[in-house]
Amino acid sequence: MLKKENPLIYLNNAATSWPKPPGVIQAVQESLELPFGGGRGTGKAQRDYLTEGRETVAHFFGEESPDTIVFSSNATDALNTLIHGFTASSPEKFHVITTTLEHNSVLRPLHHLEKKGRIELDHISFSNAKVNPEAIIEAVTDKTRLVVMNHGSNVLGSVQNIRAVGEYLHDKDIFFIVDGSQTAGHIPLDLSAIEFDAFVFTGHKALFGMPGIGGFCIRNPDPVLPVRMGGTGTDSGSLDQPGGLPERYEIGTHNYPGIASLIAGITFLQSIGMDALQRRADRQTELFIKELSSEPGITIYNPDPELPIIAFNIPGLDNDDVGYILARKDNIVVRTGLHCAPLLHKEIDDGAGCVRISPSWFTTDEECRIAADAIKEIAHHAYSQI
Amino acid sequence: MKEFILDTEVTPEFLDFIKHYGSLEMLPGLGEGFYKFEKSDCFSIKGFLNESSFEVRFKKEVMDFTSDFLYSMLYCYQDGKPDFNTLNRRNEALMKRVRTRLHGNKS
Repeated sequence: MLKKENPLIYLNNAATSWPKPPGVIQAVQESLELPFGGGRGTGKAQRDYLTEGRETVAHFFGEESPDTIVFSSNATDALNTLIHGFTASSPEKFHVITTTLEHNSVLRPLHHLEKKGRIELDHISFSNAKVNPEAIIEAVTDKTRLVVMNHGSNVLGSVQNIRAVGEYLHDKDIFFIVDGSQTAGHIPLDLSAIEFDAFVFTGHKALFGMPGIGGFCIRNPDPVLPVRMGGTGTDSGSLDQPGGLPERYEIGTHNYPGIASLIAGITFLQSIGMDALQRRADRQTELFIKELSSEPGITIYNPDPELPIIAFNIPGLDNDDVGYILARKDNIVVRTGLHCAPLLHKEIDDGAGCVRISPSWFTTDEECRIAADAIKEIAHHAYSQI
Repeated sequence: MKEFILDTEVTPEFLDFIKHYGSLEMLPGLGEGFYKFEKSDCFSIKGFLNESSFEVRFKKEVMDFTSDFLYSMLYCYQDGKPDFNTLNRRNEALMKRVRTRLHGNKS
């Protein structure tokens, strides 16, 4: 019954975007064809991917200084660097606020520190897919030193009001980390207008880079100690880790192909324009919501997502079975399970998990209609069994 | 998770046979018919009727001996002549070992 003849419909872009723009693959190939350089080599006519990468990211995010951009392997790597680095600078136990919308890239490092007795942790819940900034503000105590929250939910597709939280925290001695993994590349970002201390991004999702590249923008690195040390190509006579940016956090040989892919991915987004990208994403999201809402056997968890992420379940069917049927019968790739967001799922589906659809710029409207029809067909058959 | 490639297609008769050893759910209208078989504490199978492959998920704590039982299920259905006697005996022995592994010696 496997319809191999059906062309693949890839709806798992919130995990890793596919396909990549042609320029991305070409850029990676070119980066590997060149001898290594980037400030340490002695060859001529090499591209300085590091400087170019920082400038591209800073410009795209509306951040004034490229010097605040630090590269990492991905968002999880960046969040670990920030969370553990911040904790390392704090001799006393302190209070941390996060939300139940978070990914395990935030939840697990914080849980680990809580178990070690280094922090007291509060998880702020959400309502209608949103965390109320007032709830975060009300949770602040005189021991609060750190707030970590995502900008966009990887399950519910909702965008959080980080501006309001940042404005409140701005004049307090509280470090504010924003996880922008799901918003970077999907919505226009002007970081210069937002108060935060560190903004985390990853390259392999909506920025269209390859897996293995991410980073963060950090405005005040003083409270975040380096937790990994090594070669930086600078001040090599000293056994101490250099304290300036980016050497404070960037160690070892950089992922040049990854940075090249990120530059090309962002260049592609700029060539399309964020308005056009958002219009298509909104149209396709609305298409899915409208189509799936018309089938009584489908539960949609956020009927008004701001990102192209649609989460649903079909009562009476395990979410994993829905993913299996879509993959095997229709050649449609979705994501099922907990999406590394266990606390969120406890609130929306008792921890059972759900099915997530996430189209990208390269998804056609026709593919969305085919996928919606396939999901409705499954729901129709499951519903008729109840 | 393992994908098993069979030398023949899964038939309704085969599903009738294996349902004696676990629970079987079916959505007959989807394609040729989606099915899911669950042998509690051991493994689950999902696939489509008339396909010559299915997906198996083993409970990892007991996988070292439940995988043998899966092969027994296939073997005991050879040529559409189910050998209930052999499989019942193996099932009884298997479940005793599974219970001991998962729950100790409590019955």
